[in-house]
Amino acid sequence: MSEQVHNRLAVVRAERKVSRQSLAEAVGAHYQTIGYIERGQYNPSLDLALRISKFFGLPVEALFSLEPFRPLTDEVYGRNQP
Amino acid sequence: MTTTRLTRYDRSMLRLMNDRRGQAWYATAARRRLAVAAHVTLTVAIGALMTHFFLAKGELLWPVAVMAVLLLPWMVATGVINGATRGLLELREHVLDERQSAERSRVLARAHRMTTLLLAAAAIALLITGGVEGDAPKAYAAPLLIAVLVVHWVMPLWVAGLLAQDEPADDEAMEAGQHN
Repeated sequence: MSEQVHNRLAVVRAERKVSRQSLAEAVGAHYQTIGYIERGQYNPSLDLALRISKFFGLPVEALFSLEPFRPLTDEVYGRNQP
Repeated sequence: MTTTRLTRYDRSMLRLMNDRRGQAWYATAARRRLAVAAHVTLTVAIGALMTHFFLAKGELLWPVAVMAVLLLPWMVATGVINGATRGLLELREHVLDERQSAERSRVLARAHRMTTLLLAAAAIALLITGGVEGDAPKAYAAPLLIAVLVVHWVMPLWVAGLLAQDEPADDEAMEAGQHN
């Protein structure tokens, strides 16, 4: 079973200027695990996904999705606008 | 990873296994493969010396001396593999997070399969040799038992070393910025 869970973790983490190490310590995971999640090499458990979402103060669906995320710039400005 | 229940031993092992000073030794897959190959070679050499020690009579000193010398690089290679895996097999279960626990189970399952295949091959070879020579080579029973024990012991380490992945490098600037 290898269902891909897409995530925006790298984007949000960079935007909030949080290092992998800091996030890992806050959610009780190893910093490599955060890297694995960002690269799509590991799907976090619901428990870990919720802890990560709580850390950023976002709903879990803002960070994790079964469908690929649209780029943030597309969502904010629209794909076809200059 | 439940940081509230970590003992002093757990915390010191966690620090040791995540010490990045030796990172250059296992930064790439090629270096990790080299470390595992060196570890396998050294383990075989030490095992062969131990076999010689058991079978030979009247030459007790030099195999022991060579074994003692080889143990040092063997320990270094063990440390390199443990560093590459961040102590996947050395840390206690409750120190690992969910991904590491799953990874450890995967490594142990794969190592178990490989050890089973090796043992089956060794048993078949021993039986064939015994059949050809008319008698099982009993003199090799003790060294073979030791070899089996050693392979059973270190196979997970070899598998873990080969399965370890590269460190993501794109977080260095942010971490450096945060520490400043």
